[in-house]
Amino acid sequence: MAVPVEEAIAALSTFSLEDEQAEVQGAGVLVSSERGATNSPIEYGDVSAYRLSLSEDTKALNQLNALIQEGKEMASVLYTYRSCVKALPQLPESMKHSQADLYLETYQVLDMEMSRLREIQRWQASAASKLAADMQRFSRPERRINGPTITHLWSMLKLLDVLVQLDHLKNAKASIPNDFSWYKRTFTQVSVQWQDIDSMREELDDLQSDDMVNINCIVTQLLQIFLSTRWAILLNLHVEMFRVNNVEDILQVLIVFAVESLELDFALLFPERHILLRVLPVLVVLATSSEKDSESLYKRVKINRLINIFKNDPVIPAFPDLHLSPAAILKELSIYFQRFSAQTPLVCVIFKALTYRTYQRHYLIINHIGTIRAEHDDFTIRFASSLNQLLLLKSIDGADVDWCKEVKGNMYDMVVEGFQLLSRWTARIWEQCAWKFSRPCKEAIPSESNGSAESLFDYEKVVRYNYSAEERKALVELVSYIKSVGSLMHRCDTLVVDALWETIHAEVQDFVQNTLATMLRTTFRKKKDQSRILSDMRTLSADWMANTSKPESDLQSHGGDESKGNFFYPRPVAPTATQVHCLQFLIYEVVSGGNHRKPGGLFGNSGSEIPVSDLKQLESFFYKLGFFLHILDYSATVATLTDLGFLWFREFYLESSRVIQFPIECSLPWMLVDHVLESQNAGLLESVLMPFDIYNDSAQQALAALRQRFLYDEIEAEVDHCFDLFVSKLSEIIFTFYKSWAASELLDPSFLFALDNGEKYYVQPMRFTALFKMTRVKLLGRNIDLRSLISERMNKVFRDNIEFLFDRFESQDLCAVVELEKLLEILKHAHGLLSKDLSIDSFSLILNEMQENLSLVSFSSRLATQIWSEMQSDFLPNFVLCNTTQRFVRSSRVPLVPVQKPSVPHAKANFYCGTQELNSAHQSFARLHSGFFGIPHMFSVVRLLGSRSLPWLIRALLDHISNKVTTLEPMTTGLQAALPKSIGLLPFDDGVTGCMRVVKENLNWGTKLELKAKVLRGIKEIGSVLYWMGLLDIVLREVDTMHFMQTAPWLGLFPGADGQILHTQDGGDSPVVNLFKSATAAIVSNPGCPNPTSFYTMSKQAEAADLLYKANMNAGSVLEYALAFTSAALDKYCNKWSAAPKTGFIDITTSKDFYRIYSGLQIGHLEDSVQVSSNNFEILGDSVAWGGCTIIYLLGQQMHFELFDFSYQVLNVAEVEAGLLSQSHKNPHVAQGWETLLEAMKKARRLNNHVFSMLKARCPLEDKIACAIKQSGAPLHRIKFENTVSAFETLPQKGA
Amino acid sequence: MNDRIAVQADWENREFISHISLNIRRLFDFLIQFESTTKSKLSSLNLKLDTLERRLQLLELQVSTATANPSLFTSTTTTSA
Repeated sequence: MAVPVEEAIAALSTFSLEDEQAEVQGAGVLVSSERGATNSPIEYGDVSAYRLSLSEDTKALNQLNALIQEGKEMASVLYTYRSCVKALPQLPESMKHSQADLYLETYQVLDMEMSRLREIQRWQASAASKLAADMQRFSRPERRINGPTITHLWSMLKLLDVLVQLDHLKNAKASIPNDFSWYKRTFTQVSVQWQDIDSMREELDDLQSDDMVNINCIVTQLLQIFLSTRWAILLNLHVEMFRVNNVEDILQVLIVFAVESLELDFALLFPERHILLRVLPVLVVLATSSEKDSESLYKRVKINRLINIFKNDPVIPAFPDLHLSPAAILKELSIYFQRFSAQTPLVCVIFKALTYRTYQRHYLIINHIGTIRAEHDDFTIRFASSLNQLLLLKSIDGADVDWCKEVKGNMYDMVVEGFQLLSRWTARIWEQCAWKFSRPCKEAIPSESNGSAESLFDYEKVVRYNYSAEERKALVELVSYIKSVGSLMHRCDTLVVDALWETIHAEVQDFVQNTLATMLRTTFRKKKDQSRILSDMRTLSADWMANTSKPESDLQSHGGDESKGNFFYPRPVAPTATQVHCLQFLIYEVVSGGNHRKPGGLFGNSGSEIPVSDLKQLESFFYKLGFFLHILDYSATVATLTDLGFLWFREFYLESSRVIQFPIECSLPWMLVDHVLESQNAGLLESVLMPFDIYNDSAQQALAALRQRFLYDEIEAEVDHCFDLFVSKLSEIIFTFYKSWAASELLDPSFLFALDNGEKYYVQPMRFTALFKMTRVKLLGRNIDLRSLISERMNKVFRDNIEFLFDRFESQDLCAVVELEKLLEILKHAHGLLSKDLSIDSFSLILNEMQENLSLVSFSSRLATQIWSEMQSDFLPNFVLCNTTQRFVRSSRVPLVPVQKPSVPHAKANFYCGTQELNSAHQSFARLHSGFFGIPHMFSVVRLLGSRSLPWLIRALLDHISNKVTTLEPMTTGLQAALPKSIGLLPFDDGVTGCMRVVKENLNWGTKLELKAKVLRGIKEIGSVLYWMGLLDIVLREVDTMHFMQTAPWLGLFPGADGQILHTQDGGDSPVVNLFKSATAAIVSNPGCPNPTSFYTMSKQAEAADLLYKANMNAGSVLEYALAFTSAALDKYCNKWSAAPKTGFIDITTSKDFYRIYSGLQIGHLEDSVQVSSNNFEILGDSVAWGGCTIIYLLGQQMHFELFDFSYQVLNVAEVEAGLLSQSHKNPHVAQGWETLLEAMKKARRLNNHVFSMLKARCPLEDKIACAIKQSGAPLHRIKFENTVSAFETLPQKGA
Repeated sequence: MNDRIAVQADWENREFISHISLNIRRLFDFLIQFESTTKSKLSSLNLKLDTLERRLQLLELQVSTATANPSLFTSTTTTSA
């Protein structure tokens, strides 16, 4: 060999095999599952080499084993048999004439099935006769052949078990007799046809076919008898056995063997234990039904021992959904076996012993789960530690031999313990299942979704409603323990196997070389026969490698050093199946002295001459040998012990319920998955994939054991469906969890602190990390990338959620923008939390995608468009401004412009904040902002639109202003036309009353009411937009300041005394550039730097950032910009609204300038507002003043307005009047009813002054006024202002 | 005595056989493990590639919208300057 094998294998470990995926599934891959030890791979062909004259026995053994194999296939055919009759088509009336064809076809189909049944019938007959013959041959008292060996006894028991199972199955399956009777019907029809056809043929042929039909009839008759007789197989077996009357011996031996094995329960794994339990009652019946000797059984085995066994296990699993009950079998069989029923009190005793509650406690896993948990935790720790020891040992060269042996022995003990644990646990599940099948839930559970309780299937009663939530939880836990311990043991298969071999080798050698040597010298010195057997044992299994100097003869001749025993070198080779087989046989021979009729048990020792201590040693080694086989078949044993596939199968119930398949809610594996998901138990969550292993197991069983394609197809279909459901449910839970987590983190902490029941907003932590790392979920041989499935769904659900939030916003008014921002913030936070564990699309990308502004040149977005259209159609017409509170509120009047909105879309709680509690908490916050539009809303708008879409919106609003101005122009002209030629100053003579009369006479707009209202609304909208801009300006200032504070230290800027921004260093680099430059220089100068280019890039990027941030520093004022724009828009109408006086001096009486119109409108409006009972103010609000005053101010008519405004004049008159009348101590206005109007006028004046002062501050017009006088002295009105609309083209167009 | 020698020889032969078969199983174990871990590494890589691909698609889209309207960019630079 060029490279030694071990070195080559060791070299493989240099590859990195680390895997970030957690082990949350059972072992899925079995490299080798063939059994090399429990079933001899060469059919014990090498037994003859040991010259024990066992050739007869071996032959019989192999025959039985072949029968067992066949029998299992028969059983699976019977178990998976599905009724054909149910699938038969019914002929419609029109096709009755072809009834005969249908019969023929049906016959052909059924004949295939029936031939299988006939085969079973034939097989059972031959098997029974062979088994009986075998028993008879090996139970003659004057035995001339060696045997039966222990393995042979086992084979007999197993074959008997197969026969019992077949019988039980045949009794339970109702569809088989059904199909058969249908078959008989078609058969008679078809055979009549045949005769018709054949009569036309030649006579010879006729004769033959007649014969054939007759033979067929007989066979069918036999089959009918076989199928319709209960326990036909057992009865037949009984007949076969007692044809010659001497099988009682062997039956008794079998019973004793079974009872002792069950009582000891050391070497039995659960499949064998179940076999023994199933066979024992039948054996008892057979043994006591014979003519003689029935009492001798009870002499060998006390009846109490049998009763104990039957009492301990009243329900035994037989098939996945079929159970056996020993008591029921005994009772039923006693009808058929008269002698048995006459003799034995067994049946009644057992029936008395049944107490439901004790068994309930025994069978339900829930009562044991605490112990199991402790066992599991303890075992996994100890197993891992001995595994570590073993690895340590392997890494050390030339370790101490004793230590070596101890470590390996330890490992061996752990494996034995592991097998026993697994066997116990899996048996618990089997037994609980059997128990549940035998006790369907009594109370009809009113199913909430589908109809009444009587429509429940039987299967639902035994499975779906038969497991409480606690029981499901315990079952999930136990399944995951089994699977995880199984995969733990399976993974280290090749690691520990040589240690196991070595330990077993050492045990065997220790026994044959030391223990037996001692025994030969002492106990068996004088007994020729037995000492021959002992030395046979030594011969056939001793490995004298290290002891060649000490041949056996020496040992026998002188007494030697018995104190220390022999030392032998370890050899990692296990004994073969045949060696174990022979050793067991020989030990049995020694103990029984070759006499099976020996009273007492195998190692019962009554009457034998072997001392107790030797007997004990022999016994313990005997049972150890039995267990060696399981350990040698390591991976096959692990696979058997962790196989939970039976939990899915329900063939028996399918048949009795007459349905094709049950819904998945009835399927136990899915029930478990569903339970884990529904219970939201953080501890169970990582076990959620374990129940899918059940599907893997059952698919494996369907293919390998039952060999039925259709079963596999059904399982596959169910798994596909379940897994889809699972992924969608899981994603839902994940999303809800992260959403609620985010929402609860974003709740105000002081609010939570003040709450008494704050804990309901606390989200129970859950860990999904293990599931997020699952890239290979093993499912029916496929590998499924769970992580990518989840992240796909997450990407989708985040998009859906944003879509929903926008839909929701679109169905509400502008005030909901705060809520929208809050919900988006929660979503974003949830995204942030989730993307720590799972890689999903970035939030900004998702948001942009849903906002529909991925394109670089699009400045609008879905949200901006919505805000704009909302403002245009609802906000500007229907909201009124309150100057004091700086809020817009919806006018309580009937909306002037009816607004059509989509209805609020409905969604689950997790599209808002996660849970109901959090939803209501956040909603109560959102409700605070739902009634008005103010500063908080503006902040939300700014944050939501960002610097990208905000300019677009501003542009749209400015355009709106300019449009409004344009539409106002003709209307104003109309009003101007209706003014009288001249209106003088109001006279002081008649006081307020007189003034008002004059005003009314002059402002004769009575016919133009509609026009008046329209103009007022137009002015109001302009005012609203301008005030809105003012709010925006405030907010942007704050945001910009914050931004400045954050960036200034990096850019080297600081605010100067006069609001200017100063640079710390002139001409030099800003601190951020300096920092990166020096850092790069320092790193690059270091010779150890591997890749300097990235640092250069970083430094360059710092410069770019510096430039970009500096460019954004001097953001202007939005309000000033808007005012300038308005002013430019007004310029067009300057000559109409602000005509230059012909005289060159102020035109008092004939002026029809805008201020005059507005003045008229204002006084009318004020009058209306005090006269009409419902407040007119609520329609227009304060924004009229903002709109009117701004236009007046921008037209340069502020002074005119303040001088000549009607209401101002009225106020002046009122003041004078008041001054006059105050001396006479009475208030004239109260009497005249002008008090409220005067109040309103005062208020309007205050408001107008406020607006004018704001305008003066933000949009000073001094320079214009200064050049309003020509050099000649004549005033020059309104020089052309440089602002034109075209100068505002820098803002993005609305259409973009 | 012949039996004894034969059994002894059998032990030794079987030691060789177990040795070889064990190592073959280890080889298979390694292959299976290698396959599964490699698969999960590949799937991680796939995930990253997917993300990159989506990013790239987005960028391509943005670039294409930008190149379709070159005037927009030139005019903005002049007016903002």
